Order: sequence, then structure tokens, then C-alpha cells
Amino acid sequence: MDSIGLIREFLKDRLGVEPETVVSEAQLAELGVDSLMMLELMFEFEDRFGIKLSNDLKSPRTVGEMVALMDGLRTDQS
Amino acid sequence: MSQRRVAITGLGLVSPYGGDLADFFSRLLAGESAVRHLLTDDVPRPLSIPFVSCPAFDADAALGRPLASMMDRFAQLGMAAAFSAWDDAGLPRAADGESRDDWGVAWGTALGGTLAYEKGYRELWQKGRERVSPLSVILGMNNAANAHISIQLGLGGVSMSHTVACASSSVAIGEAFRRVRSGEAKVMMTGGSDVPQAYGVARAWEALRVMASGDAESSPRACRPFSADRTGLVLGEGGAALVLEDWEHAVARGARIHGEMVGYGTSCDHSHLVRPEAAGQVRAIEATLADAGLRAEQIDYVNAHGTATAEGDPVEIAALKAVFGERAAQLPVSATKSMHGHLLGAAGAIEAIATVLALREQRIPPTAHLASLDPACAGVDHVLSARHAPQLRAALSNSFAFGGSNAVLAFRAVAP
Repeated sequence: MDSIGLIREFLKDRLGVEPETVVSEAQLAELGVDSLMMLELMFEFEDRFGIKLSNDLKSPRTVGEMVALMDGLRTDQS
Repeated sequence: MSQRRVAITGLGLVSPYGGDLADFFSRLLAGESAVRHLLTDDVPRPLSIPFVSCPAFDADAALGRPLASMMDRFAQLGMAAAFSAWDDAGLPRAADGESRDDWGVAWGTALGGTLAYEKGYRELWQKGRERVSPLSVILGMNNAANAHISIQLGLGGVSMSHTVACASSSVAIGEAFRRVRSGEAKVMMTGGSDVPQAYGVARAWEALRVMASGDAESSPRACRPFSADRTGLVLGEGGAALVLEDWEHAVARGARIHGEMVGYGTSCDHSHLVRPEAAGQVRAIEATLADAGLRAEQIDYVNAHGTATAEGDPVEIAALKAVFGERAAQLPVSATKSMHGHLLGAAGAIEAIATVLALREQRIPPTAHLASLDPACAGVDHVLSARHAPQLRAALSNSFAFGGSNAVLAFRAVAP
């Protein structure tokens, strides 16, 4: 699964957010992702892709930033 | 200091029968048990016990998926009960102009988020994972239920949890009562919730040899308080909530008043962790009567702690006989745990609701399955089937916990 697919699946499952609203420019906060949900999303991401996010990672604000972050990490660590 | 009168304006629960408050009370009156056989798929040995579940409870439907996913089941049951009581009180969920800065929550839970932590242990020790969900702390913390309630209802006053084993929610209700009576809070949300079905917790209770056994056929009548053939208590999950409100505030907004809370007393046996002592219970009951300004002869019903353990039941009856003297023989007493089970930290709350409804409806629910009274429990007027009691004025609800912590609540009927 690609990064946007994982984010959509997570937000649908946890927050009931419709996948078509999860687009690159959407603000994560507006989709209902607060700091706790961000932790959970990162945890899921680490689990699914078998990678480790560093603790000093800057929190992404938009879906696009999140996708870029995930894609970058997957490339780096694969 | 002048004391405020305390109105009960909201009642709510997650009913083990699946229906609403009226349905819950009508089933209690009918002597209908909610106890069923619980068979899990746990390893190494499944739980196979009589238990009271809330199978119809759908957290996503009651709370919405985003909120439900931030809660352990004990907080879900508590939040749902609180919403239900709040709606019953006719209060809007979002503040509508009036400040709620001194409105608070006092919540009871014996076990808190034990299930959330147990899930973590399973991940680590059974599934061999090296880490647990980052939400584990906020799911598991004992004050999760009251914190969510304060957030959802915009309550800016105290938000606290009380963990006093089987007396947790009676203590919570009593502490909430004091805040409203003193004028410190206009409105207090109170009650309790618990989920004792964590594998380690249920096994621990089994090991203590105080739980009744039963299979699919016999479980509904497994809990038999005061009965000669009682074999122990039956645990249950649930959530129950009451809205306590400054009387004048309630009247001013035209709220329906279910009953009046008039007294609260506590004591500690200070003698043994699990062997109850009548003297300590007597002090709690007498403290409650004094707090309420009621004489013993004004009490027309007692909702007993009555768990159906061998040791506990006769001691409670001895305490009642000591307080009520010659009149004890005419004092109606019932243990509704025979039907809704022992909800641990939510027990006091669900029994307070049963007691308030008894006063409001002028009907006393029975102790179910009491065909053969233990002579050691004789001496009060055991209510064996629902009783119409048109002169029901005031009632007590007893909670006597492990640790020797006793809490008793007093309620008075209001004219309809």
C-alpha cells in the first residue's frame, strides 16, 4: 500500500473521515488529527512499513507533508 | 453556613438489559436477572463464569467513532451513561450562555482502564511485540472517564475519580453531593463505570473464592443474596450516572426532579481487608442518618450492598438490626445485585439509581432468587417480589467495600 492509501485507511477507520476528502492540501488538524491521533498514525506507519521514526521529527501539518515524510523515510530505510 | 438542597435531575445508565431507564427498572421489579454465562477464548484457560455484560452497547453509535476510539471500554460506558443522564436532565451538551466553570464531575471506578493495560500485556507477552499503542496511557488512566465527561459537557469545575473498590461510586456520589450542598458547585455529574472482565482481574476474583459458579443454564440465578444456598458474587460491567443539581437552580429552569439527595456517611472498619464488621457499617449508616437529619424510623427502604458472599450478607443484616432495632423486622430490604450483578466501581451508582426510582415510582424492587432465607440473614423485611409502597418517604443505599471502606447514601422522595 502507498502512503496516501495508508493515511486514508487509518482516517476512515479511526475517525470516519471519507477517503475522498483526504487530499494533499487538506490540513490534518481539520480532518480531526490532533497530537494524540498523530502519535497513533505514526505508530501505525512504523508498524506497517517496519521503520522507525526519530523522536525529533517535525509534525506534518498537511496530508501532502505527511505523504512526503512517509515516502522519504521509506526510500531512506528500504 | 447555609446548606443548599440537592435535587437529582438526571439519571442515565448503560443497561445490561439493553433498553432504557424505564425498561431497566421494570425488569428489576419483575425480578428478571441480567446475569448470563460468559465464555471467553482466553488462553491458557477460557473464562467460564456467570457475568453481566452490556451486549447491546455499541460505543461507536453512542459516542461516535472518533470519541469512542480514544477511550477504553470503562470510559465508553461511563461517557454513554453520562450523556444519557445529561439528556435526561434536559441540559444541552454545549454550554448555552450560563457559565459551567463551577460545574464538575466526581466519578467512581475500581479498575479504571485495566482492560487497556491488559491489551498491552497481550501484545508484549503473547504476540511478542516490543511496544504498545501510544494511546495506552490516556486509555488506561483511572481518571479517563471523568476527564472525557468534563470535556464533552464543558464542565470547568473539579474533575476527579474515586477508587474505593466496591464503594467507589457511592463515595463519588457522596462527594459530589457535598459540593452541591455547600454551594461550591451548581451541578455535579456523578456515577461510575467499570469493566471487570479483564482476564487477569476475573481470574484474581476467582482465586479469592468469592465468585458464584454457573453454566449457560444456571447462570441467570447464580447470584442469590441472603439465600441459604448462596455461593458468591457475580461480577458485571456497566456504567451509571446521576446529575446532582442545586435545588433552586433546578426549579428555576423547570427541570424534572426525580428525588432529593439528603445524606452521605462514611466509615472504615479499620480491622480487616476483606472481613466486614458490623460496627463499622453501623457507624456509616448512623453518620448518614445524622447528615440527612433523618431518624431511623423515617427510612422505608434499604438497597443493601448484598453481594451474596457467605461472610458479607449476615454482617450487613446485623448492622441493619443494630441501627433499626425493633423496627428492623418491618424494614424493607432488597439486594438488586441478584439481577444486575456486582458492578464494582459502578455498583453504588446503579444501586443509587434503583433506589431513587423506587422512591419516585413508590415501588420496591425485590431480591431475586431468595426462596430459602439463610437464618443468619433473618431479621429484616426481605422484599421477595416487587412491592407497591405508596408511603415510601426515604431510602438508603449501602456500599461496603473491601478494605473496610463503607459509604451510605440517603435519598428522599419528592411530591410529584
